[in-house]
Amino acid sequence: MTVLGQLCLLAAMVACGYAAFACAAGWRLGHRGLSRSGVAAAVAGVAALTVVATILGWALVGKDFRFAYVVDYSSRELPWHYSLSAFWGGQAGSLLLWAWLLGLLALAYRFGPRREASPLVEPTFAVLLGYLGFLVAMMAFGADPMEPSTSVPSEGAGLGPSLQHPAMLVHPPVIFLGYAGWAVPFALAVAGLAAGRLDAHWVRQTRPWVLFSWLALGIGILLGAQWAYEELGWGGYWGWDPVENGSLIPWLTGTALVHVLLAWRYRGVLKKTAVLLAIATFGLCNFATFLTRSGIFSSLHAFSQSPLGWMFLVFMAVLAVGGGVLVAFRRGAMMPDHPIPALGTREALVAISAFALVLLAAVALVGTLMIPLSQAFFGERIVVGAAFYNNVLMPIGLLLLAATGIAPLVNWGTALLPAQKRTLLLATFVGAVSAGIALATGIRHPMALAVAGLAALAVAAMAAALILDARRRDDRRRWLAVLSALRSRPRQYAGFLVHLGFVSLAVGVTGSSLGTHERELDVRQGESIEWTGYSVRFTRLFERDLPGKTAVEAQLDVARNGLPWCTLLPAQHFHRLQNHWTSRVAVHAAWTRDLYAILHRGQGNDRIHVTLIENPLMRWIWLGGCVMTAGALVGLVPAGRFPAPPSSPPGPHVALRRKRLSPKASRAADER
Amino acid sequence: MSTGRKLAIGAVVVAGITASMAYLGGSASWQYYVTADECVTNADSLVGTRLRVSGKIVPGTLQVTADRRHAVFSLTTAEATLPVACSGPLPDNLAEDIEVVVEGRLEHPGLLRGNKVLTRCSSKYESDPAPVSSASTARRERGGLR
Repeated sequence: MTVLGQLCLLAAMVACGYAAFACAAGWRLGHRGLSRSGVAAAVAGVAALTVVATILGWALVGKDFRFAYVVDYSSRELPWHYSLSAFWGGQAGSLLLWAWLLGLLALAYRFGPRREASPLVEPTFAVLLGYLGFLVAMMAFGADPMEPSTSVPSEGAGLGPSLQHPAMLVHPPVIFLGYAGWAVPFALAVAGLAAGRLDAHWVRQTRPWVLFSWLALGIGILLGAQWAYEELGWGGYWGWDPVENGSLIPWLTGTALVHVLLAWRYRGVLKKTAVLLAIATFGLCNFATFLTRSGIFSSLHAFSQSPLGWMFLVFMAVLAVGGGVLVAFRRGAMMPDHPIPALGTREALVAISAFALVLLAAVALVGTLMIPLSQAFFGERIVVGAAFYNNVLMPIGLLLLAATGIAPLVNWGTALLPAQKRTLLLATFVGAVSAGIALATGIRHPMALAVAGLAALAVAAMAAALILDARRRDDRRRWLAVLSALRSRPRQYAGFLVHLGFVSLAVGVTGSSLGTHERELDVRQGESIEWTGYSVRFTRLFERDLPGKTAVEAQLDVARNGLPWCTLLPAQHFHRLQNHWTSRVAVHAAWTRDLYAILHRGQGNDRIHVTLIENPLMRWIWLGGCVMTAGALVGLVPAGRFPAPPSSPPGPHVALRRKRLSPKASRAADER
Repeated sequence: MSTGRKLAIGAVVVAGITASMAYLGGSASWQYYVTADECVTNADSLVGTRLRVSGKIVPGTLQVTADRRHAVFSLTTAEATLPVACSGPLPDNLAEDIEVVVEGRLEHPGLLRGNKVLTRCSSKYESDPAPVSSASTARRERGGLR
């Protein structure tokens, strides 16, 4: 099987290389036969990769220790689902997953439904296959997942205990799906630049892939944060580690691209910015890979130092130079259709938000690269702490939250109308009231007050925009008018949903960052300890045998304000195969706060050492992520797939509202 | 004044504020990142400064108190050894002969006073998973988002 796998890997490399060449040459020379042969080679290449992926998955689940990769990342006691997740537990497997997903996405792009013929399909496909060939070549020559083991042991090393977590079943594949997805907008940008076809058609083609990749990367980051919160046991979810930053930075530039594409679509502005962001976001995905493989960064994640990281760096350098030259060469084709007319327009707001997002990404990049940068400029290695990032996140987060609040009430191309100005004032008043209520409830931190105000402003502005839209509908029944508005502009309201999720995320991040409390306890069995309104009683300590490990759990009965509130079971797990202990935190989640407990060892059976952490509003972070995901999913549905708005019997109000848009007219406007 | 120019001025202002905030945050939290060998070699100039020192715990030197709040050990990279005294919560998987990063100050040339020990966590792309320490017990840098 290892030989078959290696042959398939080599076949995939050759097929992808040929496919990239044949598709590019066929497009350039107008030779349809050459293009067709390239497409056939691509299908064969992806099929070969599928065989390799199937062999590896089968070997992992079947504990086939003839494969070196299975020996390194699996064991007989490992449950089958974690055996499968060992697929992406190592370097070679994760590269294979990435390449395989990229191959599937490339085929989806080539053969997927398309509403209009596109001259960019062939060159875009060629770029995708070229990149796929690069990934497969790195596997074949640097990290072979099909490598046979030198001897066939009776037991493998097993998967790292921290990776045996449900989030790890999904988090890495979704992150890789995001990385693979960003290759498509990049390929479209390169193809558009090469063909000189950067127009509305390019935007329509690019938008769904940008949204898809942004969504996948965002879900991956969210799952990673949840894994860190429950698994790493320090009470937080984001430590500004270089590897975390590596996925966040392209997500930030990708978020900017999502917005800039809208400005291009509706007003024909920020075209160069969009193309540069498409190239940069893809480049930054490769940068994230460089981070994980070069070994030059001070990360708490442990990495093997392999030459693959430097190959990615060279690839990024080629991207930067090549992308810059292409953009400079085609700059004439990307001139704006109109200048941005005023600061109070939506395109100006998009420009400001995109700038803020890119700035945040740049700061995170500088912080991540601080060691090599400081060594290059000052001759000393310096690392910066979380304060460096948090200090920047605060003003930029507020700016973005303010932009989110104002956005629904401003127009493309024209300044605010008097009715919109009044509505904005009303929303601002709602925000001020919210900040006042926060102040009255004892919140004193200026950042928290600002977020309370801006979050309420944003929600009020979105509600007001929906009501204003509904009032323009020909329907006397208000709820039907609202429904009609929602159905007529599904993408617009999908955007609102994403923004609502962002508001929830901002509230959660602010609450959990500023309002956290922590206490370390030494407590005897049967003893209760009072802490900030909690009464924590250590009831008992007990052991359980689990597959591959022994769990030592402490039962903590928590009362709040004199009433039983929850039981926490923080634990220590002893992993027999790896011969070491890990912590299992216990979390009681509620809408106002999480109570988080970490059990430490070394105190004997009747006495434990526990850290208790109160994290306010944590649930709002996960809720925000889910709402953003839901919004993006709605935004991905092709406009034609939404059911038509319900018709309603005309009433006397019709004559009075003749100038208002009918559902059909507004739907047509949205389609445009 | 054109809208483009207004936007450019706004961008410069926002970038300036951001850079200032980053500088403030950076100057409050930066640390020299050195190996144990470098720390011993340049000890005189590093006394009193914030440091993040990487190295391996020398076998036979690790002593941990029963409440796991204090530990002493020696750290080495290749040649020199640096005595370390740490206070605060310790990683559950703190052990001899593993890679750690200690944050703290060099009290005098012969002692690093640590307030935090970070053990590397096993993660993706780890080529040799058997001897690595656990992510779940790695005490990560406090002060991130929680």
